[in-house]
Amino acid sequence: MAGAIIENMSTKKLVIVGVILLIFQVLSFLVGGLIAPSPTTAIPYTATKCVDIRKYHQKWLMPGGRNPCEKIQDFKEATERHIEANDIVFAVHIPKPDLEMSSWFQFMLFVLQFEIVFKLANQIDEAGVVTIDASLAYRDDIVSEWTPMAHSKEQRKLNCVFPANKTKKNEGLPYDCDLLPFMEVGTVAHKYYLVNIRLPVNERKKINIGIGEIKDIGLVSIHQNGGFTKVWFAMKTFLTPSILIIMIWYWRRITLMTRPPVLLEKVIFALGLSMTFINIPVEWFSIGFNWTWMLLFGDIRQGIFYSMLLSFWIIFCGEHLMDQTERNKFSVYWKQVGPIVFGSFCLFIFDMCERGVQLTNPFYSIWASDVGTELAMAFIIVAGICACLYFLFLCFMVFQVFRNISGKKSSLPAMSKARRLHYEGLIFRFKFLMLVTLACAALTVIFFIISQVSEGHWHWGGHTVQVNSAFFTGIYGMWNLYVFAIMFLYAPSHKRYGDEQSNDLLHREDIQLTTTITHVDGPTEIYRMSGKEAQE
Amino acid sequence: MSSKSNKQRTLCKHSSRVSSLEVFSRQGLIYANLRRSVMALRHFLFIITLLLCLSQFMVEASSWWSLAMNPIQIPEAYIIGAQPLCSQLGGLSQGQKKLCQLYQDHMQYIGEGAKMGIKECQYQFRHRRWNCSTVDNTSVFGRVMQIGSRETAFMYSISAAGVVNAVSRACREGELSTCGCSRTARPKDLPRDWLWGGCGDNLEYGYRFAKEFVDAREREKIFQKGSYESARTAMNLHNNEAGRRTVSELADSSCKCHGVSGSCSLKTCWLQLVDFRKVGDALKEKYDSAAAMKLNTKGKLVQVNNRFNPPTTFDLVYVDQSPDYCVRNESTGSLGTQGRLCNKTSEGMDGCELMCCGRGYDQYKAQVVERCHCKFHWCCYVKCKRCTKIVDQFVCK
Repeated sequence: MAGAIIENMSTKKLVIVGVILLIFQVLSFLVGGLIAPSPTTAIPYTATKCVDIRKYHQKWLMPGGRNPCEKIQDFKEATERHIEANDIVFAVHIPKPDLEMSSWFQFMLFVLQFEIVFKLANQIDEAGVVTIDASLAYRDDIVSEWTPMAHSKEQRKLNCVFPANKTKKNEGLPYDCDLLPFMEVGTVAHKYYLVNIRLPVNERKKINIGIGEIKDIGLVSIHQNGGFTKVWFAMKTFLTPSILIIMIWYWRRITLMTRPPVLLEKVIFALGLSMTFINIPVEWFSIGFNWTWMLLFGDIRQGIFYSMLLSFWIIFCGEHLMDQTERNKFSVYWKQVGPIVFGSFCLFIFDMCERGVQLTNPFYSIWASDVGTELAMAFIIVAGICACLYFLFLCFMVFQVFRNISGKKSSLPAMSKARRLHYEGLIFRFKFLMLVTLACAALTVIFFIISQVSEGHWHWGGHTVQVNSAFFTGIYGMWNLYVFAIMFLYAPSHKRYGDEQSNDLLHREDIQLTTTITHVDGPTEIYRMSGKEAQE
Repeated sequence: MSSKSNKQRTLCKHSSRVSSLEVFSRQGLIYANLRRSVMALRHFLFIITLLLCLSQFMVEASSWWSLAMNPIQIPEAYIIGAQPLCSQLGGLSQGQKKLCQLYQDHMQYIGEGAKMGIKECQYQFRHRRWNCSTVDNTSVFGRVMQIGSRETAFMYSISAAGVVNAVSRACREGELSTCGCSRTARPKDLPRDWLWGGCGDNLEYGYRFAKEFVDAREREKIFQKGSYESARTAMNLHNNEAGRRTVSELADSSCKCHGVSGSCSLKTCWLQLVDFRKVGDALKEKYDSAAAMKLNTKGKLVQVNNRFNPPTTFDLVYVDQSPDYCVRNESTGSLGTQGRLCNKTSEGMDGCELMCCGRGYDQYKAQVVERCHCKFHWCCYVKCKRCTKIVDQFVCK
């Protein structure tokens, strides 16, 4: 990769490009912060306690509306009326009355929260496992029948602690119970949903025995906000052509050269491809079609981009090592890229086990069972180790590059002009990318921390700034601009540089961009040349 | 205007000392009294003032807490004609009546909140000389609440907290028409709000409504700067706010991570109301460390003892010393501790020594039936044996 645009560009132009990119960067933050609402909304529900009098055990029980079920206020009432636990159905209508769901919500996930009160004689067992008979139905208008969507019997481990002393005096105080994952649906194609939960008791099989005295079941539904989805789609729709155009331009530049493209150029192109893959707004289809696999697909796309980005960093460092070894082959980097591939593969398997299975059974959760939890943890730990390994390699490589740079710098004045310019170019390119990458990574980390720590929105005067949305659009825009800048600045330049025959004076600023190729110089020649000179 | 009312009040105090006790708080009696005395023209003026006094006394004595005592039923007919329900409900001030007409569906939950507050108060004070017992359905606690004591401070704060809690809960359940997204007043904006950015926070709504409603009665009367009533108003407002803030403060946020592969890159949080017992515990602690206040020359409430840190918005304040709760006293409204159960072995407030104020106690044997050796399901199924045991009970003389 010789003579990239970035080296031959005048400082003035570089500054202009930088300022334009910065403006877009700020814009992408503002779009999220000021226009978009917060990315997601959580709506807490308390399940209505219905009595399943007809013992059909299939009928859908509704908490309200036209045909409401027979409700009980609390279980004292049930005890008085001799209603058994098996006849009680917890019903939740989603959303709340007078509202309807929309496919702009993209996904729904539900969290289950048990409210269990402490009774000295009826405590939660050490390993209190609750068996949930859950079913989900939908309909698109308030008069039609409910259409079943999913039904499953799931087990969840109750993780409850009692905050006070377990004495007679503290009876009636609630336990502190962990939130339990309940359900995840990758598409919101219908207007109304109904969840019916039963907690069947079987004394002989020890099912739902020793789970304490349940007072209420809370359900929290989380979905993406419609406004955020719209802003997000708009952003993707805008970014796709921009990256696509620069990608085509970049590839044309490479094919116009007489030499075949080098590895780094291919990797940059691949990075652009994976960015475009993420950008393409296929989510538009989720508005019209009932595609449940969209969440999984989004995860996969993100995974591909991240592994591509990580590989790019390694290869970029490797190609700038300046230690006279010929690399330029992907196989040279297997040691460094290996962990990335393996780590992402682990995460992929994990995701398939969680979200993949949820395509068929939305109530499934890998964290629900002990084996599943261990398996999931194993995948995540392995992926974590891979990530550590990768960063060790990367840091070592960066260190090597800097060592070589300082070595080269001392011998620069003694070199011939071509070699000097070549090395100066290499050093400049490397340092520039290093700086930009570090800045981007730092910004990502900082914003991530801010969005985790803050409450999600800030008030400035009369304006509310949605920090979480700004984080998403800003960081997403930033990596797009990063890829854009790399493809633009690291595309091969048409300008000649440092020809030994040419004039000593280099008026970089005066040279005009020409469409014809004046400089046909492959890096292999440079390598050969420099190697030869080094031998001499 | 305020000076006039002051004059009235002094007249009031004077006359009530003479003859008001016989017509103590029964409105029927007042009218009977009126009918009897029209004949005597000389007494006419006196009766008028007495009536004015009593009516004012009634307003002060009755409280919105009475919503807790009488079940609020909203028959279908009342939803159309707004007037009857709100005028039927006793104990509301003018401003509260107006709010009642605007937000009829809220009244049930305000009553629930008041009930919650009273129940919690009775739990927290079950072992103390003043045990938060209710006296009647209009004034609820009787005259004790007219004294700006610590107990009054606690009651104001816990009932305000109860309203925040109940209204927020009702809001979450979708029971209120004006809460969150379901704005019936602006149907056009409704789908956009909901589809664009979800619904507002329940707790925030509960807090705002409770502030509006509970503080209404304090805000509508303007007293002369530096008067006792203005001190009481400031005290009540402060304690109401403390109660509301405690609920908001104690609400904890739960979060769920749901980014790629369950990572925390995407995190959603929501606020959850804490069990009301914890609110009661927190306010009881504030009761124990309540700050004594007095009015300064500028008519502002300041701390009596400057050495302590000034009370924050979460702290309770009081202006009067607590009355003696040991013996029954009509003028303070204290019920006394006679007949209260006490614990012989305890050395705390529930111990017979302190509870009975040194008057001694009677001992009884009582048979208590308890459930024992039970088998439970998570709901509705209990199989128990009945065990009886005989316990000693001690009752204050």
